[in-house]
Amino acid sequence: MKITFPHLGDAHRFVGLLMKEIGIEIVVPPLNSRINLEQGIAVSPEEICLPFKLMIGNLLQAWEMGADTAVMPATMGPCRLGEFAELFNSILLKCGCNYEWIVLDSPQAIGLTETLSRLSKVVRERNVPMVSVLVKLNRVKRLVYDLDKLDSKVRWLVGYVEQPSTCKYALRRCRTELSSAQTIKEAQKVIRQCSKELDELPLRNAEPIKLILTGEIYSLIEPFANHHIEEILMDLGVSVRKRVTIGWWINHTFSEAIQFGKEKNQNPYLTNNVGGYAKETIAESFDSIAEGFDGVIQILPIGCMPEIVAKSVLGRMSTDMNLKTLTIIFDEMDGEAGYVTRIEAFVDMLERRKNGLFFGS
Amino acid sequence: MRLGIPGGMYYYKYEPFIKAFFNELNVSAQFSVKSNKNIFNAGAADCVDEACFPVKLFNGHVAKLSERCDAVVVPRLMNTEFGESICPKFCGLPELVGRAGCSKNKIDAMKPQGNLAYTRPLFLNKPEALENTLAIETVHLGFSHDQFDKAFFTGLDAQKYTQRGVNDIGYKYKVFLAGHPYNIHDSYSNLNLIDKLHAMDIGVITEEFVCRGDKEAELGNLLKMPYWASFIDIFATGKALIKQRAIDGIIALSSFSCGTDAFTLEMLKNHIGTFPFLVMKLDEQTGEAGFDTRLEAFESVLSGQGRMHA
Repeated sequence: MKITFPHLGDAHRFVGLLMKEIGIEIVVPPLNSRINLEQGIAVSPEEICLPFKLMIGNLLQAWEMGADTAVMPATMGPCRLGEFAELFNSILLKCGCNYEWIVLDSPQAIGLTETLSRLSKVVRERNVPMVSVLVKLNRVKRLVYDLDKLDSKVRWLVGYVEQPSTCKYALRRCRTELSSAQTIKEAQKVIRQCSKELDELPLRNAEPIKLILTGEIYSLIEPFANHHIEEILMDLGVSVRKRVTIGWWINHTFSEAIQFGKEKNQNPYLTNNVGGYAKETIAESFDSIAEGFDGVIQILPIGCMPEIVAKSVLGRMSTDMNLKTLTIIFDEMDGEAGYVTRIEAFVDMLERRKNGLFFGS
Repeated sequence: MRLGIPGGMYYYKYEPFIKAFFNELNVSAQFSVKSNKNIFNAGAADCVDEACFPVKLFNGHVAKLSERCDAVVVPRLMNTEFGESICPKFCGLPELVGRAGCSKNKIDAMKPQGNLAYTRPLFLNKPEALENTLAIETVHLGFSHDQFDKAFFTGLDAQKYTQRGVNDIGYKYKVFLAGHPYNIHDSYSNLNLIDKLHAMDIGVITEEFVCRGDKEAELGNLLKMPYWASFIDIFATGKALIKQRAIDGIIALSSFSCGTDAFTLEMLKNHIGTFPFLVMKLDEQTGEAGFDTRLEAFESVLSGQGRMHA
């Protein structure tokens, strides 16, 4: 049994380390690129969302590399993610890839025992005791949180350092070193090292633009699906807060129902869950003004159903509350200039507002 | 008090309930007229760009009604009777059409839904919760609890004892018309499809004529129970009807950029082999020639079918 899974940001690093320690062979498909996107587009229905096309491309490539079992996270709707595995199965069979499926639904939907039994399928061949797997799982979870913490530290720090691009390069270097780490301990050391380096960067004396980056979950986590929007923002020297990370996602799916501590202000704009991250997108945006942010960037892949509702609400909020929002919709086109221009214009606009410089003044 | 009741989205599906309910309440209700180009244009003007065709049309109905009514009924359906969800856009419908709903009034930040009524979440699979929610909203509009109870149960009975859907007999061919009720039963958005089919001697059957048990029997070999109502109504019904040898072909009506259809129709296509299957995409265009040509081509597929098997 050779396990594979579709890419989601840095997930392959963590799973790779975990499986190496347990001693299970996994197949990591090549990182998302134009190649697997095109393979995915060729077999997907045309109106499906971008994550689907990327993920099915991953699985096609993994099959060629010898994988035979696919692990797929899922939800119980109403967003499309929960049904992905179903359609993957149907399409991949047509392409001659006869995967065995391990669908990881959230414990709220199928019960904790069922989740554990599905998880244990992953390790059933190697006779490792479940306890040691859980211990290692816990250590990897800590590693995930460490890297998330580093990432969010960099995202915030970048507005305050003299040379914003140094942050970007430090982070890239950290990721390269992580790829060559053999154990969880080594990986933790790399992260600590990088964090220490960042602390020593010279700071500048100015208040940066602060943005909230929110929107659809997959696009937020997978850099290829958002054209490396975080690096674009880093180059502009903008401080960004992004709540959605892999660590957040693990918590959300497996540990507990979604809760951001205690909800301070019940936002009146979207009071109930419409699937995906839409409700939280609105909640974050609603709180952003009180928390001193200058604006909100919402990103979504084309055709994402919950975020379309959120976009409609954001439109209302920006007239009602004078909230500055930019919605960027990603599709299969890989021309980056258009996105960069729009982000630059948005940041320019915020800077001018912040410094009281209006057109003509 | 004048209540506007827009005739879009799941209005057709729950029409018996809605009509009986508001009749019994004796409220002065304004039902929207059949969809037309004017309504659509009004809706597309201030709807979020990415919304699908039916949402824009619904938005138009709301916009037109809110010109003349004190409140417009925009229900927030969270799921269906069996607990499946419909589509994220149904859960956020009041938000999607909120702008149209309060174009006349001043925008109130603490009440973003404007003058929309019945916007609380409705869980149709929990009858008691449904009754409570509807009661709160109805009392809020100024009716008594007794009035509500009477109207509610009259509505439920009406819904229960009315057979919805289409099942034509006496035509040469019969096709399963798959799709959402707001596409099938709105002759503006589907360019009068059912009449056109009748003119070609093709009869139509819709999902309402296959019972729940038959549908569920078709879902057995999936990886997991699907959670969309439309998935079951289209995918399972199609397979069940083929098994019963009740149909000669399937015509699927799908709105452009419909999120669930992108999924459902691909699944159906992969599961029915070479069975005649036509997908008609509905969008804002009203040119009928291309539509007709494809229907004619499908008709010749149906008529050629007998020869292939002979």
